[in-house]
Amino acid sequence: MTIYHLVDDAGFGGVNRMLDHLTRALARTTGKHEIIRIKRGQLSPPRLTNASHIVSHLSVCWKNMPLMTALRARYAETPLIHVEHSYSERFVTARVENRDRFETLLAAAYALFDRIVAVSAQQGNWLGRKFVGSGRLAVIEPCVELDDFHAVPDRIAGSRTVIGAIGRFDTQKGFDILIEGLRKSARQDIEVHFYGKGDEEKRLRKLAGGDPRIVFQGYAESPATAMASCDVIAMPSRYEPYGLVALEAMAAGRPVIASGADGLAGHIANGAVGVGDNTPDGWARALNELDINDFRRGAVSPRKQAKEAEQSFADRWLRLLGDLREQPHPFQMAA
Amino acid sequence: MKNLSPVASIVVPAYNAATTIRETLDSLIDQTFPDFEIIVVDDGSSDSTVAIVKGYADPRIRLISQANRGLAGAHNTGIAAARGAYIGFCDADDLWLPEKLELHIRHLQEKPDVGISFAGSSMIDRDGKPVGINQSPKLTNITAADVFCRNPIGNGSAAVIRSEALEGFGYRPAGETERDWWFDENFRQSDDIEGWLRFIVTQDWKIEGIPGHLTLYRIHIGGLSANVEKQFATWLAMRDKLARIAPNLIARHGDRAAAYQLRYLARRCVSMRQGRTALGFALRSLKASRRPFIEEPVKSTVTLAAATFIALAGDGIYSQIETRLLGAGNA
Repeated sequence: MTIYHLVDDAGFGGVNRMLDHLTRALARTTGKHEIIRIKRGQLSPPRLTNASHIVSHLSVCWKNMPLMTALRARYAETPLIHVEHSYSERFVTARVENRDRFETLLAAAYALFDRIVAVSAQQGNWLGRKFVGSGRLAVIEPCVELDDFHAVPDRIAGSRTVIGAIGRFDTQKGFDILIEGLRKSARQDIEVHFYGKGDEEKRLRKLAGGDPRIVFQGYAESPATAMASCDVIAMPSRYEPYGLVALEAMAAGRPVIASGADGLAGHIANGAVGVGDNTPDGWARALNELDINDFRRGAVSPRKQAKEAEQSFADRWLRLLGDLREQPHPFQMAA
Repeated sequence: MKNLSPVASIVVPAYNAATTIRETLDSLIDQTFPDFEIIVVDDGSSDSTVAIVKGYADPRIRLISQANRGLAGAHNTGIAAARGAYIGFCDADDLWLPEKLELHIRHLQEKPDVGISFAGSSMIDRDGKPVGINQSPKLTNITAADVFCRNPIGNGSAAVIRSEALEGFGYRPAGETERDWWFDENFRQSDDIEGWLRFIVTQDWKIEGIPGHLTLYRIHIGGLSANVEKQFATWLAMRDKLARIAPNLIARHGDRAAAYQLRYLARRCVSMRQGRTALGFALRSLKASRRPFIEEPVKSTVTLAAATFIALAGDGIYSQIETRLLGAGNA
């Protein structure tokens, strides 16, 4: 039997890395995993022989609805799981013009699946409140291969504090807020290093205005190497269903300062520092008060927490796949 | 019995409110829905506000005194202390009609995706007499742009919030050690609109109104902030802040919202009989965006006409016809 994972061709790096990790972590305990690439807007479902489960990592959009509907019809008796990688409460408020239309889409799409997997407790709360009954909802925080991050040595505090910001240059990530915040702060011993690329780059550079405390390091082939040269990781995101960078930073033993958007609130509950007011003024105040020595190791080190996250990721997927195998499918019961 | 949390909390921020707070508290005690607590937040009053509140024997009234933190700070202290599943706000000079709380709670129970329930208001004067002007805002399908441009919630005594919806709304700014903020205490004006706007641009909860004019909102002609220009500067700072949180909204509706805000300030100047200033604001409104003239032609024209009239003719004749002009639209 095979577990099929369907991925959009527009799928971003995080999803692919999570899938690599998932298939490797579960390789010994479940059946074969196969990753199928789908063209967005493709109408007919792929042939999935001998499927024990079908897991959709597709983006829910009107263009993908015919495919999702056909998938349900063709594999009526196979457990169908959807992992919601894209949407969250703050995504909706930031990006969705017509909320009624969007809610109709999500309600219709989610109704096709036996389980909806939320990628954070916060996203799960929102999905549960708006779309999915608790019986069909599971929360599994994503995880990726973290060995490179675990291997990053502890950083010895120097005279300058380097804050790393890693990710796509997109309004989602809120890097503009961080730049404006630093420029409002008088702290000359703090630098912010950006690792990434994207449409916003020109605007970000303009906002930085040649301030020597702001450094654009280009796209980081290895985020772990990038983190090695940072003291702290900043995540001023406007929306973030989960926030993988926070987990990677924890594995690298780097403290995280984050906005409370969506899944980042969960990372804050797990030891990241909340900036509170995710605006330039809020960051300026946080930076003014920043003392790298304040980040003491607690009873549980962040690295250990990241290890536990890896384990619970595998456990929860195993449990979910197991639950769905044993339960007779509602469509079968009706037959 | 006292250990049980009440269903609703009503937060009453009070700063030197001795002349009006009795009437306010009486109107709250008279609510038809009885299971509530009233949290009076005395924001550093120097008059007899505290003594008056202490004179009430009703066990549902709680008094919290703090050094002055401003209206946002008083609201935040009240929210932090509130135990109810629904939290209403009533300024210490406004009144609630007896059925207000009951109707909002019913609304919030029937519509689980509504986070803030509000209603329209009737204006009263210093003596509590109706002045014949109502706030009758848009009630349903409220978008962030509606909140930004028209603030349908209208005043500080109109809203009842579901406490569940406060979770993603609050935050703890650097330097604050006592409690969270829901309203931004850095703003001494525009703090309410900043809060409602941030509520709707960061949360997937609806803001929705119910019919009726359930708040009696007191207007103080003499108490109007003399420095209208400063008020606009604060509003611009609020817009600037929100532009970082919700860049698309401000890019698309920033000018239109400014036009409405300038028109509102022009109307305030008209009521203060500052003709020249009123005309200045009315013209700046027109320059910022023509949308108010397209969307609300009567009110926009009346505002411009009134401002022009006072600027040219003085307020003598104008005062005689004001009621009819202003009575034609909303405040």
